[in-house]
Amino acid sequence: MSAHENEGKMILDVNNLHASVEGSPILKGLNLSVKPGEVHAIMGPNGSGKSTFANVLAGREDYTVDSGSVSYSGLDLLDLDPEERACEGIFLAFQYPVSIPGISNAYFLRSALNAVRRYREESEVDAVDFLQLVREKMKLVGMDEKLLQRSVNDGFSGGEKKRNEILQMAVLDPKLAILDETDSGLDIDALRIVAEGVNALRGGDRAFIVVTHYQRLLDYIVPDHVHVLSEGQIVRSGDKTLAHELEREGYSWLESGHAREKTQEAS
Amino acid sequence: MSTETVDPWHAMLSQQVADSAGAHSSLDQRRQSASEMFQQSGFPTRKHEEWRYTPLKSVAQGEYSALLPADGVLPGDDELATTSDIRIVLINGRFRDDLSDLTALPDEVSIRGLAGMLAENPDFVSESIDRLIPSDDHPFQNLADVFLCDGLVIEAQGKTDARIHIVHAQDGSTSSGSSHVSGLVRLSGGAKIEILEEFRSRGTTLANIRWGMEIGSGCEFSRQRVVRPGCDVLYHGTRVQVEGNAVFRDLIAGSGSRLVRNEIHAILSGPEGHVDLLGGYVSNGDEIVDHHTVIEHAVEDCTSREIYRGVLGGESRGAFTGMIHVHQDAQRTDAEQSNDAILLSRSAEMNTRPRLEIYADDVKCTHGATVGELDDESLFYLRSRGVGLEEARRMLVRAFTAEVFEDLENEALKEQFIEQLQEAMPAAGESKS
Ligand SMILES: Nc1ncnc2c1ncn2[C@@H]1O[C@H](COP(=O)(O)OP(=O)(O)OP(=O)(O)O)[C@@H](O)[C@H]1O
Ligand SMILES: [Mg+2]
Repeated sequence: MSAHENEGKMILDVNNLHASVEGSPILKGLNLSVKPGEVHAIMGPNGSGKSTFANVLAGREDYTVDSGSVSYSGLDLLDLDPEERACEGIFLAFQYPVSIPGISNAYFLRSALNAVRRYREESEVDAVDFLQLVREKMKLVGMDEKLLQRSVNDGFSGGEKKRNEILQMAVLDPKLAILDETDSGLDIDALRIVAEGVNALRGGDRAFIVVTHYQRLLDYIVPDHVHVLSEGQIVRSGDKTLAHELEREGYSWLESGHAREKTQEAS
Repeated sequence: MSTETVDPWHAMLSQQVADSAGAHSSLDQRRQSASEMFQQSGFPTRKHEEWRYTPLKSVAQGEYSALLPADGVLPGDDELATTSDIRIVLINGRFRDDLSDLTALPDEVSIRGLAGMLAENPDFVSESIDRLIPSDDHPFQNLADVFLCDGLVIEAQGKTDARIHIVHAQDGSTSSGSSHVSGLVRLSGGAKIEILEEFRSRGTTLANIRWGMEIGSGCEFSRQRVVRPGCDVLYHGTRVQVEGNAVFRDLIAGSGSRLVRNEIHAILSGPEGHVDLLGGYVSNGDEIVDHHTVIEHAVEDCTSREIYRGVLGGESRGAFTGMIHVHQDAQRTDAEQSNDAILLSRSAEMNTRPRLEIYADDVKCTHGATVGELDDESLFYLRSRGVGLEEARRMLVRAFTAEVFEDLENEALKEQFIEQLQEAMPAAGESKS
């Protein structure tokens, strides 16, 4: 089926997106459509633009959108500030989570949750309710409660940072979660726990875009669609078997020209 | 009358010296010599090394030269979350018995208005001032000597633990001017005193406040100072002698005042003493915040720590001058100094001058200074979680000054300090350029 037939049902519709950083083009005509409830995996070589795409969706200002459009739940996404996007339900789990010494994880999370709740015209949560909620979610991602009182990601191990991203996702309850290499830096057990966390949040209308280099993650979080991003374009799309194929064959085929053949668009 | 303009300050000083002559010989003498020094040197210009970043031109011009009226009304009514039940109010430099509450004062502690002491026992005042605040050709010290009339004398002897809230209020609502306060502190016998010193002002006012302190062996003196918005001009000077095993801690938080000059001269004169100087501020518009510290490690085995953090917007200017003087005998000194600033606009400015003079050889002295901008990565991270731009900026002020406030045990007070700084944070749009 083509993207167009389902336009009305899309949670995300990216159309011919071009974006650049400091004048050099990175995304060069990216198309992707995501339906509510779907999980899309994006794979592709280093430097192909996966993080750029994820950050453009989240509204990072270092990237300039040169042309194309992104509609999200019927909104013109590119017109929104990063915080508005977050409040509208977009969540980006950072490839490199930022540490903020001097702000406790708890304070950070509660500020974020209350900002989102205010936007959604829900009442703010007090410290007690917050603690209850966050404890429950911490269990979900197998995170040590001590990390709540520590400064945001400050001195966290690589794996703790990634879990912290998933914790934030669980607390903020997004509609579209974009996970940028959340699996990298995780040990096997952590990978499974994080994946279980994600799976627990799956279902209903929540959609995921999972950026990863490893098929392994996709054994746990089974995607509906797999895309290959190369040089700023999605050059191939398929189902979960595509991930296995990539695992076996790598990306050398990209150079051989048929990658440029029009492949099936994200469906 | 001569046609040549008389410097309003000089006129005031001559008047004051004449008016108070004959009260007490050694105080008279000090007043006389301070007046002479001031008539000679006046207010320093920016050519003067120690005052390079503190322009006193507007202060020198005379708007402040009159004394603030002896009566006045306490400006502002939002109270700090202090845990102290001892409250002292000074308005326009006068100790106000009627607004102060000393009923909870433990027996080991005495607090007296300086005016009362001057009347009762001028020798004691004279001798204490000479010892705790040696005469010095310093513009504000000179003024404090000439206009010496009121202040506080705090003495604690023996094992005691008192928390005292001091409000210095300037009420310039009927006329502009200055007030001059001298405070004397003497702790001995292991006393522990905690002071919350608060500055408030309304109108065009100059508060000239100086303290001389002796923290005896094994005693602890902790002070939190908060410069409330609207303080106009504040000079605050502290000279403190810290004896063996004694601790002097100071924290100053502030925002929204035209000019703040904070001077601390701490002398570690007995082994195993500790000095802790902390400061956090947000400035905006054309405000000036100048922290000027001297820590003298006179003997061995003492430690000191200094952390100053400022967020500067608009065309405001910050200065930090931090001298650490390690005397020859002060082996095993451990001194740590850091001064960091975030500039929110291109016209804001920070000047940092660490000065280390080390004459001992077994010494650990570290100092660091940074000037940066608000971190875009952190801002984006917060915003990507739904936190609005302004709130995100305020959170980063909290983060930046966290280390300054982290040891403050009174959580509610800590929140008030941090919130005051956050409130002073200029909005994103205002701070560019
Ligand atoms: N801020 C920036 N300044 C300059 N170049 C940038 C910037 N951000 C990204 N790029 C460049 O854009 C290209 C795409 O980077 P991006 O991070 O999107 O790749 P990626 O697909 O996520 O790679 P990886 O798999 O290594 O994470 C790279 O060549 C990178 O160097
Ligand atoms: Mg990447």
